[in-house]
Amino acid sequence: MLKYLFAKESEIPQGTTAIFFGISSICWFIIGTGLGSFNAAKLAFPDWYHGLYWLQFGHMRQVHVHAVIFGWIAMAFAASMMYITPALGNTKLWSEKLGVWNCLLYNVGLCLALALLWSGVTSGREYSDHIWPIDLYIAFVMVLPWCVNVWMTIIHRRTQGIYTSNWFFAACMFMTVIVFLVGNLPEFFHLTGLNEAYMTWWFAHNILGLLITPVAAAITYYIVPKITGNPLYSHRVGHLHFWSIVVFYSTPAAHHLMSSPLPEWLKSFASVEGVLILVPAIAYVCNILLTMQGKWSMFVNNVEIKFTITGVLLAIPLNMQGGFQQTRAINWYIHGTGWIVAHAHLALLGFSTFAEAAAVYYGLQVLLRRKLYSLSLANLHFWTLLIGFSLYWTSMTIAGLIQGAAKIYEVPYVDVVIAEHPYMIVRWLGGTLVFLGNIVWLYNMYMTARYGDEVPAGRQPAELAYVR
Amino acid sequence: MSWNEHWRFDRPLFSLADDEMDKQSKYVWEHESLGGIAENNNPLPRPVIGLLLLTYFTAMAITFPLYGQRPNAAIYADYVALMNSTEVQKVLNDKTISHAQADKEAMALIEEALAHFDSPYAFQRAQHPIDMNKLRAIAPEIVELQTKGVDLREYNVIGNHLYKANFEGNIKPNGERERIQPWWDKGYQIAVWWFIIFCLAVIIAVKRLPHFSWQPDHSIAH
Repeated sequence: MLKYLFAKESEIPQGTTAIFFGISSICWFIIGTGLGSFNAAKLAFPDWYHGLYWLQFGHMRQVHVHAVIFGWIAMAFAASMMYITPALGNTKLWSEKLGVWNCLLYNVGLCLALALLWSGVTSGREYSDHIWPIDLYIAFVMVLPWCVNVWMTIIHRRTQGIYTSNWFFAACMFMTVIVFLVGNLPEFFHLTGLNEAYMTWWFAHNILGLLITPVAAAITYYIVPKITGNPLYSHRVGHLHFWSIVVFYSTPAAHHLMSSPLPEWLKSFASVEGVLILVPAIAYVCNILLTMQGKWSMFVNNVEIKFTITGVLLAIPLNMQGGFQQTRAINWYIHGTGWIVAHAHLALLGFSTFAEAAAVYYGLQVLLRRKLYSLSLANLHFWTLLIGFSLYWTSMTIAGLIQGAAKIYEVPYVDVVIAEHPYMIVRWLGGTLVFLGNIVWLYNMYMTARYGDEVPAGRQPAELAYVR
Repeated sequence: MSWNEHWRFDRPLFSLADDEMDKQSKYVWEHESLGGIAENNNPLPRPVIGLLLLTYFTAMAITFPLYGQRPNAAIYADYVALMNSTEVQKVLNDKTISHAQADKEAMALIEEALAHFDSPYAFQRAQHPIDMNKLRAIAPEIVELQTKGVDLREYNVIGNHLYKANFEGNIKPNGERERIQPWWDKGYQIAVWWFIIFCLAVIIAVKRLPHFSWQPDHSIAH
């Protein structure tokens, strides 16, 4: 990376930024899931570690959350955008040099942010845990240059039309900057009470709804038609998906605070909009699954499609849960329980991660012009991720239902802790499986870069997957 | 005149684009390769349209505040009255049984008595059962509010105390806010208008595309 920081733009090979972001994202995925595994072990076996103050659960939880969101998920998004955006505009990335600096300063900033969280310097607000100088660094040094590169690449495209994925990329980056700066107002201006609570959850909801979910979907809009060779089923359904995300996903923040003293009419509105999240979800899932017509064999024999379609299928329970769990009836039962933790992991480790992993697998092969070193290891990674995630999701969902019942029937807390113990062990096993799978992934991608067979010009890596 | 200015309004649900705009859109669609990706012009399948409409009506129906509300003080007013009745006090003061047993039997007596009368609060009472300890704790506040002559439905039971509900309804003639949550509030009105405006915007966006009976020929650019 260092040699490109001060090189001329013309001397930096196309795709360099995407490769750096891609490799960084895998490393952060290992770190993030490793921290997750450590935290899960602490919950399953509370007495096993009583060491350093920094390694206590309260610190480690925040570091885990931000390592996976800003490290894995956001950097995998950056990697995807840095190669998909120019590809869809039949052009090159606006500035590889800006991208390389962006990647370096992103990693430096993330290390600093996590170190501060680790040492207990935090705003104390879930998902917007960083202190204000770090918030400003994230907005203006980590995210804004990334936005500029994406927007300028789209502006300088060599096509008249803009493909669906690029609508999402450009709009989501715009909305993310707004959400990040507005959502952190309590930190900038010391807002307290209900204002603080609402702004915090407006931020948390919209980071999920206007960045993570739609960008993951946009990635699949690229991967599925590109690898299968099928045209996207419907351009107009893409419109429906895009505008319903903007309209229905941006408005239901109050549904995170159904038991708070927010005005009830705001909760009613947010709750209706919360169910209407199913509109983009249905449009999106239909569009992708119908695009697969005639190519379903690739769900079995192509590793990128396997990851992508698994992610799309996981979007179905994700949105069904998301749509209904926030209504007054169900929220009353499951609010504040492990169900929510399971749902968050379904969004981030299920739908989003599977889509992004496909984009990173595909992108690194295309940009490095190297065939995947080992398809078997990639399949092993897929299955460890899927089994690990499934164990985590089901165990936490069951644990959440137990907690919900205990909450309603006022069962003593210690009895709930005892009842949940087996599920906490399964959660730890699932999380650890994901962590181990990711180490295999990093090894596979390292070996691909070093020893993978070269992909001839004009050929797709997927076409050569089974060619020895 | 730019191609964006070509409109027709004679058949708005069929197309909002005139022939010239259609021609230009079709040319771009067939002659442009977006990074090797092509797009078809299929409509949303009809069963899916049905599913979306079902989603909308479900969204409106399921979010009515039938469940998940805090209990209001009115549902326990009869409990308080019966708690002070001779029969119940007799059970509560029975020295031959334990304190816990007395509470349990007294509450059973109250619930049995209430079961004989129709009440608009039967559903909410089933949602929010109460024990004698909590009833004792909230009873003085309920009596105090009854003495003041206020509407108990405007007060929520939170923990062992009563608080004015946070629902912000219409302004009453005396200048105060309506605090009784109805099955419909302005949040739903906003949701209805929000959905209608969304539908109009999306219809305008997609009806400017070539009609879905036309499918592009991808062999031209690919």
